[in-house]
Amino acid sequence: MTLLLQLAAALYLASGLAGAVSLSIAGVRTGRVALALMGTAALAHAASFLALHVVDPVPRLTDLPQALSFVALVGAIAFGIFARRGRLAGLTVLLGPLAFLAAFFAALHAPDPGVDVMGGAWPHAHVLLAGSGLALLAVAAVAGGFYLVENRRLKRKQIQASPRSLPSLETLDRINVVTLAVGFPLLTLGVLTGMMWVQGARGSFFTGSAHEAWNGIAWLIYAALVVARFGAHQGARDAAASALAGFAFLLFAVLGVGILA
Amino acid sequence: MRLLLVGLSHHTAQVDLRERFAVDDPEPLLDKLVAGDEVEEAFLLSTCNRTELLVVTRQLEAARHRLHSFFTREMAAGRADAAELEDVLYEHSDSEAMRHLFRVAASLDSMVVGEPQILGQVKEAYRVAAGCGATRVVLGRLLDRSLATAKRVRSETRIAERPVSVARVAVDLAGQIFESLEGKRGLLIGAGDMGAIALEALHAQGLQELDVANRTPQRGAELAERFGARAHGLDRLPELLRAADVVLLSVGGAAPLLTPELVAEAMRGRGHRPMFVIDIGVPRNADPAVNEMQGIYLYDLDDLDAVAASNVEQRRREMDLAEVIIHEEQQRFDGWMAALRAVPTIKHLRARAEAVRRAELLRAGRRLELNDEQREGVEALTRAIVNKLLHAPVSRLRAGGEEEAGLAYLEAARVLFALDDSDAPGAEADDDPDAYKPE
Repeated sequence: MTLLLQLAAALYLASGLAGAVSLSIAGVRTGRVALALMGTAALAHAASFLALHVVDPVPRLTDLPQALSFVALVGAIAFGIFARRGRLAGLTVLLGPLAFLAAFFAALHAPDPGVDVMGGAWPHAHVLLAGSGLALLAVAAVAGGFYLVENRRLKRKQIQASPRSLPSLETLDRINVVTLAVGFPLLTLGVLTGMMWVQGARGSFFTGSAHEAWNGIAWLIYAALVVARFGAHQGARDAAASALAGFAFLLFAVLGVGILA
Repeated sequence: MRLLLVGLSHHTAQVDLRERFAVDDPEPLLDKLVAGDEVEEAFLLSTCNRTELLVVTRQLEAARHRLHSFFTREMAAGRADAAELEDVLYEHSDSEAMRHLFRVAASLDSMVVGEPQILGQVKEAYRVAAGCGATRVVLGRLLDRSLATAKRVRSETRIAERPVSVARVAVDLAGQIFESLEGKRGLLIGAGDMGAIALEALHAQGLQELDVANRTPQRGAELAERFGARAHGLDRLPELLRAADVVLLSVGGAAPLLTPELVAEAMRGRGHRPMFVIDIGVPRNADPAVNEMQGIYLYDLDDLDAVAASNVEQRRREMDLAEVIIHEEQQRFDGWMAALRAVPTIKHLRARAEAVRRAELLRAGRRLELNDEQREGVEALTRAIVNKLLHAPVSRLRAGGEEEAGLAYLEAARVLFALDDSDAPGAEADDDPDAYKPE
């Protein structure tokens, strides 16, 4: 299990490095290597995650290392699905190192055995759903970041520096649309299952903790982004900036508040 | 075996002279060339930028005269005089000829360095020459290597990576904005030639849904018909802009046609989907402020020209790397050619040895009364002795062919074994025509 996770971490890192090379010098061929490494890393990572579920009792996913590792896995899978259509190899330069950090962090910490968890199956469901939502919104943020860079480059007419392993603006925007459309409902379900978990454990849907409050605000922000994007036909550049800013806030709400506390 | 290339190209001849040497059907010319004694194999490459003859010969001087007269008499056929031609014809032999062919196939010698058409043209010319039997062992291998080298250059360098014409730059840019041009809608405003050229390039890349808007509906309709587009008057511009993903502007007139107000209205109507605006009108047809708007990517002629020029420069930088690849391949082929030079001597040597063996066996057979079994034994024994004796010198000759000292070895072998002496034992085997065929 740990070995698979270590392998996945190493492959994620290698994918990020290959992605960096594809952006700087070597072009399309190295891009394919980056994608292949990312795909292999995701397979090893998925195998490691499945292996978690064959032990009895199933370890707690609510551990931060395991939860982050799951987020990285879903992000890598989502990226792999998008990469089947567009020239996305360049995006591995960011996604690879992020997934590496998450997998490496999880590999360093043995999973807690699944005992003493109040709330039945809700915590597990909460992590699976909220983690999937978080992963997709992370992919949206990465795509948004690249969109802003590419948009600026094209607006400033610096096109001789265009790397061949980056997708078109339209592709980046499509990733943003799809990940927001799927990621936000998953995040919503994650929030709801989290509330069920709290209710089961503490007898109330909302206990007023900082984590719950900040996550509630993050959810409201994303709800506003969804309305702006799909209701008010927000432009692609604004949507990309929103995805980046929204995810930064969500990351703070999920991780930053806990760390500060 | 020697290689000789004679030709003219855009480096030496103006287009009016080049076009007189354009060959539509090279087969009869190749047949004529290889029918003569001077030329063993021949290849003819004729494009709009060059006409070149490459031949394999054993008689370099005779082949040189033959190719020059071939250009003057057979190919020019009265359309160019000899003096005019001598000024523009160039020649390369052996290593230089193969290097030239490699450079041509890799598009290093093209007018637009890195252009992809030349590889297809070399391939087609090779197909024709091979089809009529004009290319055999040497040119067959050389042309195979030249095609492989060209592919190496394209894959290992960035020589062909970036477009260098304004129209191709526009297509490349569209590819950075849109995932694909298929399903996108194009709008050409104006019916100028430049606009038509750019539209043609975009159309070829999949931009199929097209509208043409022009002040003069008749002129617009002609252009629209050419691309299967719909023709409109300029009065429908706001409505057409709402639907267009790629807009080409090529209208005369001092005032910008595309204003921020007009574009803002269109963007609202199209849900802020991105729009690529190519302004090739002089003076410019779009207000530069349009580029500041979200989702609009405006490029004028100067922008496209600057990109094209920068890409040309990049291709030139990549040429150094391409030259290294070509040098490697040239050396490899030089080695093969040198080894090929050893083949006749080796064959000659073997034929001599075999003739001597047979003659001695025949003589001994008259003295000794051998039964069939004994004769077979002696045959095998003598063949083994000859083979063992020849093994080392033949191996050295073959290996030496790829080195600098190879020619000296060949010369030494011919002297030591008296291969050029018609009175030497076994010299009658020299009449065997198979002795000189390459392996």
